[in-house]
Amino acid sequence: MSLLQVDKLGVTYPGQSQPALHQVSLSLARDELLVALGPSGCGKSTLLGVLAGFIAPSQGRVLFAGQPVTAPGVERAVVFQHDALLPWLNVHDNVAFGLKLQGADAAARERIVADTLRLVGLADVATKRTWQLSGGMRQRVGIARALASRSQVLLLDEPFGALDAFTREQMQQLLLRVWQQSQRGVFLITHDIEEALFLATELVLMSPGPGRIVQRLRPTFNQRYRAGEDVRAIKSDPAFIALRESLLHSLFRQGHEEAA
Amino acid sequence: MSTSPTTLIAVPDSLDTGTPPAPAGRRWQPQATHWAALSIAGLLLSWWALTASGLIAPLFLPPPQAVLARFGELLAGSYMDATLPQHLLASLQRMLLALLAAVVVGIPLGIVIGVFPLARHLLDPVIEFYRPLPPLAYLPLIVIWFGIGEASKVLLIFLAILAPVLIATAHGVASVSPLRQQAALSLGASRWQLLRHVILPGALPEIITGVRIGLGAGWSTLVAAELIAATRGLGFMIQSAAQFLVTDVVVLGIIVIALVAFALELGLRRLQQRLTPWHGQPH
Repeated sequence: MSLLQVDKLGVTYPGQSQPALHQVSLSLARDELLVALGPSGCGKSTLLGVLAGFIAPSQGRVLFAGQPVTAPGVERAVVFQHDALLPWLNVHDNVAFGLKLQGADAAARERIVADTLRLVGLADVATKRTWQLSGGMRQRVGIARALASRSQVLLLDEPFGALDAFTREQMQQLLLRVWQQSQRGVFLITHDIEEALFLATELVLMSPGPGRIVQRLRPTFNQRYRAGEDVRAIKSDPAFIALRESLLHSLFRQGHEEAA
Repeated sequence: MSTSPTTLIAVPDSLDTGTPPAPAGRRWQPQATHWAALSIAGLLLSWWALTASGLIAPLFLPPPQAVLARFGELLAGSYMDATLPQHLLASLQRMLLALLAAVVVGIPLGIVIGVFPLARHLLDPVIEFYRPLPPLAYLPLIVIWFGIGEASKVLLIFLAILAPVLIATAHGVASVSPLRQQAALSLGASRWQLLRHVILPGALPEIITGVRIGLGAGWSTLVAAELIAATRGLGFMIQSAAQFLVTDVVVLGIIVIALVAFALELGLRRLQQRLTPWHGQPH
């Protein structure tokens, strides 16, 4: 059963003739990792904003568990690329922040926070301030904060976009582990083709002018990783490379049509 | 690399002089405070040299030792019926009262302006109307409206401090990262929780900066404020001394104001460092 349901969604910003999103439909189940891939301007950030409840749809609708999404809510936690942690709180308090706002019982809160910190490998730095951490560690805090809250879906806005290649690959593996263990649906947007192919159970390729879905795939590399295959072996597999090149080709072709 | 020699490199000068080689990284390097001390020492030395040479009459610039002597004398003795500590206390009381009022009024009002665009549209013209005015220009009005008592003096200083506090708070509140706010909303923050846990702490560095700037503006208004029928205060002391050409008291008053203002500024910097250690860090 799908948690998030998007039907023929359209968004037009005030004063703009071309819609930012046009006729976008998709659904996200609890065990799915849905990735929206596309170049800048394809509307993927707008899509995430609508799912989070920050942006109101102009057409169509977004349902969470059958109810229309009209505002931000705890069941849909967002992780941004950066700048969203609270530097006046330490790592532990950042992760506990959502539960504290929601007025959760202190003992339960401490248990959840400790479990979450362990899950993302932050138990040793719980008392550090976020600005004392590296970029990768900070993104772990962002993910842990979203997990510790009573979220059922994680919405990730280019979470690894600002990280170096090595850290990014580590974080992708961490995300798969977290996704598997935490039983949440994950919606992630990225412009990194390899990242999209490696992570997604379902992948939508988006294109600008107007922002829309132009291709849908169900890659299997995520399952192969979970089945124990090595990440480098997967990413250098001819099937992976072929799919990567095919997506790249689609992106370039879209860009070409755009220019014509 | 001008720092320490590594173990791979011989240190000929230490062998020559027979002194033990400096431990790695310990070589003395002048710090910011050393340069500041040098600057002040240079200033004092030029002052002394200029007056000792006899080129400038003490009426125009008294020598440092005369000012120092005056300082010793006024610690217990009085000038214009009050000792230096009494003048200082009178001014400090006015300053701190005005500062307290400016913080109590300015921070909440700044938050309202920062959060509600309507409040900004309404109040911005008022603030920008009075802010650039020299305090001496509206001093007569304040005297006409509020008399020559203590309230008028504090009000004048309060107005000088208020504008920077108000503007900095409003700007700080309005420029809190929208992503941080959205993230908090998606974690279940109510509007009040957003303000209390995200917007206010986020604006705190700028608010403290506003208070620092405001305090400077307050000190610069002190002399004007103490033009209003004061019988005590550093500003009053300086003005009275000026009327009788007692230049050493004038210079003493200036130095005391500068030192006290600097001490308060240092205190606020420390406070800012303690309360908002993330300020200026990439986060």
